[in-house]
Amino acid sequence: MNRRDLLKAGLVAVAGMVIPLNALEVFDDEAKAAVKAAIEMVPKKRRWAFVVDTRKCVGCGMCVKACKMENEVPFDADVSRTWVERYVVLKDGDVLIDSPKEARYGYTKNDPMGREIKEDEIAKGFFVPKLCNQCEKPSCVQVCPVGATYKTEDGVVLVDRTWCIGCGYCIMNCPYQARFFHPVYNTAEKCTFCYHRITKGMKPACVQACAFGVRKIGMLNDPNSEVFQIVMNERVMVLKPETGNEPNVFYIGLDKIVR
Amino acid sequence: MGHAWRPLAVAFAFILLILIVRIFVVPSDFMAKNGDYKYQWHRVSNEKDWKDFPVGYRGREFCGQCHPDKLEAINKSKHRKVECENCHVLPEAKKSTHPVNLQKSYKYKFIIGINKTRHLCLRCHQKLPYRPSVYRNFAKPVEFKMQDGEKHNPGMPCITCHDVHKASFK
Amino acid sequence: MTEVHGQLWTIKQLFTYPNEYIYWTVHIALYPYITGLVAGAFVLSSLYHLFGKKELRPVSRFALVFSFALLLVAPMPLLFFHLLHPERAFNVFFTPHYYSAIAAFGLVFSVYGLIVASEIWFAYRPHFIAQSQSRKGIMGLIFKVLTLGSYDLDERTAHIDEKAVKFLAAIGIPSACFLHGYVGFIFGSVKTVAMWKSPLMPVIFLMSAIISGVALCIWTYILGMKFFRREICTDTVRSMGRVLAWFIILALTLEMLDFVFHGYTAEESWSILSKIIFGKFKFKIFVLQWGLGMLLPIILLFIPKLSTIRAFVASTCVLIGVWMMRWDVVIGGQSMSKSLAGFMKYKMPIWPHTFEEFREGLFSVILLLILPFIFLCIFNKFTPVFTEKKCNFDTEEAH
Repeated sequence: MNRRDLLKAGLVAVAGMVIPLNALEVFDDEAKAAVKAAIEMVPKKRRWAFVVDTRKCVGCGMCVKACKMENEVPFDADVSRTWVERYVVLKDGDVLIDSPKEARYGYTKNDPMGREIKEDEIAKGFFVPKLCNQCEKPSCVQVCPVGATYKTEDGVVLVDRTWCIGCGYCIMNCPYQARFFHPVYNTAEKCTFCYHRITKGMKPACVQACAFGVRKIGMLNDPNSEVFQIVMNERVMVLKPETGNEPNVFYIGLDKIVR
Repeated sequence: MGHAWRPLAVAFAFILLILIVRIFVVPSDFMAKNGDYKYQWHRVSNEKDWKDFPVGYRGREFCGQCHPDKLEAINKSKHRKVECENCHVLPEAKKSTHPVNLQKSYKYKFIIGINKTRHLCLRCHQKLPYRPSVYRNFAKPVEFKMQDGEKHNPGMPCITCHDVHKASFK
Repeated sequence: MTEVHGQLWTIKQLFTYPNEYIYWTVHIALYPYITGLVAGAFVLSSLYHLFGKKELRPVSRFALVFSFALLLVAPMPLLFFHLLHPERAFNVFFTPHYYSAIAAFGLVFSVYGLIVASEIWFAYRPHFIAQSQSRKGIMGLIFKVLTLGSYDLDERTAHIDEKAVKFLAAIGIPSACFLHGYVGFIFGSVKTVAMWKSPLMPVIFLMSAIISGVALCIWTYILGMKFFRREICTDTVRSMGRVLAWFIILALTLEMLDFVFHGYTAEESWSILSKIIFGKFKFKIFVLQWGLGMLLPIILLFIPKLSTIRAFVASTCVLIGVWMMRWDVVIGGQSMSKSLAGFMKYKMPIWPHTFEEFREGLFSVILLLILPFIFLCIFNKFTPVFTEKKCNFDTEEAH
């Protein structure tokens, strides 16, 4: 192999490497747009969103009671569309988490996980209300084999009770375990943001029942809504962002031990 | 060669059967709304089914139609953010003691009554080390009243001394 | 109290979300198990039809028909025992949502079923025609239907049939792999269950499918020959044993790789996942699934001069081991709470007092495990599976 051949081979190799790189640039704008869309706070479409201010929650469980009554989930059944968790961190580092009876009777005793705890043992503690996150990319909807669950145009995920076959795949795929089987209809059941209320201009039952202003609902792309103001001006967090589901329930005052 | 296609004919008959049955079984409005097959593949009329779900919680205005005095009292009190139905809906009661049959007259879904147990008040007012001690839902934050239910007059109904609608003593 | 689906057999420990129960129970373990047997049996029969492994001829037809018998049972645990609305099971065909692995499964399953059924038809066509002409009454009628109205039988059609069987075996292998790989995908794509979420899942399921299918063929072949008092072909058993042993090595490697990867990357969930693997399920995984189900059979099968009894013991161990693998994946995966702060224990209902307890309990499992053998016995009336009287692999098939 002489020098000329070597040069030729080198040029071909370089050209070969450059062409695919150039080809990628075609996608550059698209890629930028995709990244931009992923980090934008406010979606372009109409979206119902929820804010939970965990700093204000006292754990009375009135929201759970209201939800179960409103949405006809049997009150004595051990499942619920919304629930309140109690987190207690002890000074020795132990973390106690519980949610007895989904907190439908509230918290009236200092007995996390059934343990009697003295006040001076506790480092910190708080309550975290949970509900369906009405994800932007709901993994539960993605896996429904029959199209019995879907996302409405305003971003609420609903279940068709007349079409659900009860396979439980959506329940397995919800990172937040917001889904369960309805004990009466035997179909997948979940929080609807009280779709029958919000579409009539009312607030969801849990929001109305909360006397402490923990729960707020509004349109995420409506600059006049309180939810928009909070999401844009305060430091909010979502649960399990690593799943890529892009939840539409935003939390204020979330601790790292909350899952 | 002809016979070799017969299993395929059976397969096509099978597919055809499914397609025919499908016409009768699948609701006509079952579609991918907005062309979004991933997230909006559903029976469109189900959205209306959910919108038509009967409303249960009516809020204080509903109660205030017949009980304006109570509504006025509570609206002046520190309990003004507490809905009537939070305390007066009895989830586990079988029969209503309410003089008017709300189910019949107003299609009201719940059983209304008076819950005199201490537990009801303690849901908010039991002192817990991690229960927020400041109430922040008024224009100005106020100190939140908390009691230890085991030490504060145990066994006695709270309403013996307290008027809930005034959020103060009787 | 209103009983919630899942409450009957779930015992919660520490903190689990209120709505969290073991929703996927024993039938979801049974369904990939039987599907795996389908795929494995079919691959075994194809080894003869496609690659001409002559020593497998005595079992090739049996494996094919058995595969079909298993195929009919495979969706039953899912459709009739697991679904809370079994009457809506066909919605999967009416409004399929192909983003879902389960919906795509319906399609893959049907295509595969048609391939197997067609292959059986081509393989047994001369038999159907002969029977339809000699038998009377109902049996004669059934055979007439089975011929699909085609009575051509000469050298030319025989050649076509042979080619068709080869072709169907050829497209059958990838679709069998696809079928079972898909079952693995149903689990591997669940991003919320740390134990399942792995791109290796489809391959792991495929490998364990093949070993369980081959093992079941060995097992049933030996038992069947004993039952009919025929000669058991040593070469056939040894050939199946070799296939089994090599696939066990592949399966074990992949399963270990999966765990090693979970442990080495040690994502957030590993702290609790490791407590499942090395704690609550250590006996089931390391002793039953790997020790009894894989290492022991490898040793038994690799010792030279494989005897019938050794092959029988090894294949029994493999069948138990693969069942344990399905159990560990399905139940083990759900045993850790998505809150990463608690566990759930599964307690299968044994004695049925209610219909729910029967449906989700031991007896429905036993019923479903017997059903393929009942189907095989029925099919044997129409498509006799053990036609070879002697172990002679050099002559052409005697039909």
